[in-house]
Amino acid sequence: MTTTATPAVLAFVEDKWQEAFSNLNHHQPGISGLMTLSKAWKIAADFLRPRPLSQPRPKYNPVEVKMAFDVLGQTRLLYTVLENFLDDMHQQEYLIKHEVEEYMSKYEETDDPRIIAQLVNRLVEWFNAWHPLAEYDSSSVPDLWLADSQDDAPKSLGHVVTDHFTVAFHTHIYSILPPSFSRGFKVLVASTLPISDDMSDNVKLDQSAWESFFALGLVERYESLIASVCYEHIEGYIRKTCEGKWSEKMLTGMREWMTKKMVPWMCLPYARGAKNSEEAGKMMSGVGSRFDYHVCKVLCDLRTSEIFDMIVDFPDSKPALEDLKECLHRVDQRSNLVSTLRKANKKRLLHPGADTKDILTQYVSIIKCLRVVDPPGVLLYKVADPIRRYLRDRPDTIRCIVADLVGDGENGTSLVDDNDPLVPLVSRDVEDYTDVTWEPEPLDAGPDFRANKPGDIVSTLVSIYESKDLFVKELQVLLAQRLLNVTDGNYEKERRNIEILKVRFGEAALQVCEVMLRDMTDSRRIDQHVQSQKPSLLHPIIISRHFWPTLQTGTFTLPSRLRAVQEEYAREYTAFKPDKKLVWLSHMGTVKIEVELQDRTLEVDVPPVSAAIVELFSERDRWSVDELIAQMGRIDRPSVSKGLLVLVDLGILKEEETDNYRLLEIAEEPSSEPGAVPASRSAISMDELPGAQTAQQQQAEQVRMYWKFIEGMLTNLGLLPLDRIQTMLKFAPGYDRSIEQLGMYMEAARREGLVVAKDGMWRLNR
Amino acid sequence: MEQITTSLAPPRSSQKVGVPGSTSDASGSVTKRLSSELMQLMMSSSPGISAFPKSDANLFEWVGTIEGPTGTVYSGLTFKISINFPPNYPYVAPTIKFDSQCYHPNVDLNSGAICLDILQDKWSAVYSVQTILLSLQSLLGEPNNASPLNPEAAGLWKSPSEFKAKLMSTYSPASA
Repeated sequence: MTTTATPAVLAFVEDKWQEAFSNLNHHQPGISGLMTLSKAWKIAADFLRPRPLSQPRPKYNPVEVKMAFDVLGQTRLLYTVLENFLDDMHQQEYLIKHEVEEYMSKYEETDDPRIIAQLVNRLVEWFNAWHPLAEYDSSSVPDLWLADSQDDAPKSLGHVVTDHFTVAFHTHIYSILPPSFSRGFKVLVASTLPISDDMSDNVKLDQSAWESFFALGLVERYESLIASVCYEHIEGYIRKTCEGKWSEKMLTGMREWMTKKMVPWMCLPYARGAKNSEEAGKMMSGVGSRFDYHVCKVLCDLRTSEIFDMIVDFPDSKPALEDLKECLHRVDQRSNLVSTLRKANKKRLLHPGADTKDILTQYVSIIKCLRVVDPPGVLLYKVADPIRRYLRDRPDTIRCIVADLVGDGENGTSLVDDNDPLVPLVSRDVEDYTDVTWEPEPLDAGPDFRANKPGDIVSTLVSIYESKDLFVKELQVLLAQRLLNVTDGNYEKERRNIEILKVRFGEAALQVCEVMLRDMTDSRRIDQHVQSQKPSLLHPIIISRHFWPTLQTGTFTLPSRLRAVQEEYAREYTAFKPDKKLVWLSHMGTVKIEVELQDRTLEVDVPPVSAAIVELFSERDRWSVDELIAQMGRIDRPSVSKGLLVLVDLGILKEEETDNYRLLEIAEEPSSEPGAVPASRSAISMDELPGAQTAQQQQAEQVRMYWKFIEGMLTNLGLLPLDRIQTMLKFAPGYDRSIEQLGMYMEAARREGLVVAKDGMWRLNR
Repeated sequence: MEQITTSLAPPRSSQKVGVPGSTSDASGSVTKRLSSELMQLMMSSSPGISAFPKSDANLFEWVGTIEGPTGTVYSGLTFKISINFPPNYPYVAPTIKFDSQCYHPNVDLNSGAICLDILQDKWSAVYSVQTILLSLQSLLGEPNNASPLNPEAAGLWKSPSEFKAKLMSTYSPASA
């Protein structure tokens, strides 16, 4: 590019040149000013030049150096000097690089964090050696870097120089430190952490070490790394200390540990330069709350992962649960807790392998535990839902609960705490507006959340089912069984149970049970009367059919002798109560028989079926099962087998070959394992007597009846739509199903090929 | 259709007859009796006989089904009958007639009227729908040829093949 400069421009350039020159020349005559300047430059550059550590900076006359810098300052060349210095440093950087590589390769071989510590110290030495202000602390020595500013007093460039140098130096070492350094640095930092009270074999990092870190900018650069070291350390410590330790509160201890051990350590990186503890506290507050949060979170996570076992251990784990509650308050991990517990329940509890009783026990524990963790019960509601649904599908849930209510637990541990106050069951569909302690529902409560009154486990269990009628029904069945199994005439326990349950279920619901109890005592009274009229061998229990659950009916022909006794008794009874008639349930109860054999006489209590069999065996010695059944009338095979087994156990009969039995007139030597006999005998203990039908059996019975009705209406009326069937079923007593249930039922019947559906009309598959 | 309307009328109108006030009471006990008879019938599962109320609104009108007893000419055939209970049931016998055409010495082929002693003068309150149905079923195999409603059928009874031919010509399978 060529342009022809106008004379004016030329004159301007000339003018500027003169001005610059005279400036450099310091307004001295000739070039003497320039000479001074060049000398000053040389001194300054030489003074600043970065050298290997092995060659220490030569001694300079401070006055000379100061003068040189002053000259440069006056000519406004200090920036240029700085740039020159940085250039020089750049050229000397290889010196550091060599050393870093040396240390790092050594570290990579040994993995010893102490090498990293040495490297850091070495780097600090380099840093100090090269520092342009190294020996000239502004307080003791006149400031070198005084720049001449046009209008004011000369201005110090000290901090600018330090910044430039620091940035350049840091940039450099970061560029040459290999990735393995950060790993080493982390180990180094970690190794200084207080692990326990005993810190003797740790590398000691004191304030000065941290000062070095600060000097090299490592703290800023590796801030997240240092933080993660802390986090990991806290996590490791908490896990180690708290895992499986549920019997005491750990959170306070952890916080103390933080204050005692971690905070002093953390003061070094996070509260640098704090003059007193107050200031340090201020600087630490942000970090501190972050770490406190972390403590809570770790403990919370730990306890969440252990929650299932903690619940199993309840109440020993109560302190841990209180910890969890406090942590949850600080850390919002509630949904996490819910999902973890739900998952654990699904995996460990709600499967066919678990006993209903165990599920219930755990459920009760869950209730109690989550009440500790979350008193309003939102968590409980969310966790309990799948359990309740599962329990509802289990056939023996009600039975278990009821058995427990009446204290029938096999191992004596009751689901329900005896200390629980007896509270009547109240359905609380409406809010109690007079409740002064009312609180709004928690934020994360679901739409159909309904707060439960705390403490009442029984009502929670009963509410698994929609109505308590089912319970009362099952209760009746259970009571029937228990009453029939009482042999000593002592019904006090049952009476007490009923009284307790009355408080819960209400007087009216248990009226039937009352009647049942009264039947038992009445029976005794009536029996006394009948016996006084005409002594009889028979002591029947007379029950009011309408108030008792359906008892299994089994009619078999009693031996004629027994039948005669029955009939005689019935006559006496009718004489006593003319308006009533006895219907015998011959298969229930026990018969005391005396068996006279050739070598021995046995006196035993046996079920009536066995007695009947013995009677038959008195006619001849050998019977097959089929022959027995033929003789005994309407009886099913299992009952006969059971009756036979009792006798075999008593050593009266012996099974010669399959289904053929022989009377043992002469006792045979007990079989080689004598222990086996009592064991098998106890297997057929008296409480296996045919009992009352369970509610489930009753329900099956009902469904069978509905089917009869459906069959009847379809036979006679032909095609019917579903809604018609539904309305017609009202003829069936006690029909209470919804049309949806009916639809499902019909669908099931269709699959079995019983009915055919076409255009929404149902007919029988004929 | 005609059958339904005509048979609907009598029980309703007759229900209104009687002393007011006692009506509901009386019909209540009749309903109770009919319900328990229905229950009994449903649970008895006697083969080949069945009956059910025509609609859920009226328990006094039933439809019955009778299968011909095996070993008779009626074997394999199904007949529909209608049963109308009077409001003073069971003191008065229900009105029963065949809805399906039934060629039988004691059944009027066109009207379906039945000549059976227990439905007329021999009626007793201890009888039930079930006993009636059982009687009708056995009547099919053992007609009382002494008092025929269908003299032709009574005459043919002795020659089963001809009787069967005549029966089949009038029979139409019961359908809805």
